[in-house]
Amino acid sequence: MHEIRALIVDDSSVMRKIVERSLRQAGLDALVVHEAGSGTEGLDLLKTKSVDLILSDINMPMMDGLEFLRQLRAQNLAPGVPVVMITTESSEEHVKQAIQCGAQGYIRKPFTAEQVKERVLPLLDAA
Amino acid sequence: MAVSLRESLETVSDPRNLDSSVEEVFQMMLGVECHRDGLTIALEPESVTAVVGFGGLLSGACVFRTGGSAAMTIAAHMTGMEFTEIHDTVKGGIGEICNMLAGAWKGKVPELAANCGLSVPAVITGRDYNLHVQAPEFQLHHAYCFGDSAFDVTIVCDGIQ
Repeated sequence: MHEIRALIVDDSSVMRKIVERSLRQAGLDALVVHEAGSGTEGLDLLKTKSVDLILSDINMPMMDGLEFLRQLRAQNLAPGVPVVMITTESSEEHVKQAIQCGAQGYIRKPFTAEQVKERVLPLLDAA
Repeated sequence: MAVSLRESLETVSDPRNLDSSVEEVFQMMLGVECHRDGLTIALEPESVTAVVGFGGLLSGACVFRTGGSAAMTIAAHMTGMEFTEIHDTVKGGIGEICNMLAGAWKGKVPELAANCGLSVPAVITGRDYNLHVQAPEFQLHHAYCFGDSAFDVTIVCDGIQ
């Protein structure tokens, strides 16, 4: 597989490391990871960097993941790039909200590398 | 129609929900099997405690408490890194474990999953401190172990609608 550039947005540096590790375990060896500790930081980063995949937490202080998604669309940043939300919130309502805001995938924490593979790889193939 | 948890209090406070949440989080994120331990853990002098608040239909908190060396073991399993001191990555890992436990626990009851929010985790480290909540609606306090590591999890509910 060719090089994949991923943006991981999470206020927890540990979760960013875990998500990166899971992507590598899912078979994305040629992975270049950009990290953002907040939605605002993620938006700023996307103004200068191109990515193939965005993974974002929802429950973050300052700007939550849903607002990050809305801003992403409103500012037309990373058009066509698949966005996967990774979150502890698992109700149908939360999933619906994320999809309405433009997410293509949803992974509930806790997760396994296998689940990351199942949800992320088809999106990369389709993109 | 307004949603109420009062009628499902028995389901919400079912201790099996906490046990299965702990097993699920530790199995999936650390790859270890956890066992319920009947005894309250004997904490090391230095302990690490993470707290995630609940708000909405249920107010309260999920509290995860463990000793310093167990905290480093847990963070090492999560990240694949080795730790010799309780630095920010270890604290962040314990905060995330507490966050996932709180999310998994509330996810066991559909009304709670949809109508109860979680705060971002707060992590406390230090010696000789206790958690005290006045007259909770209910409280679950379970101790667990895996390998040589032990921890306990408390769900405190101080208000329910």
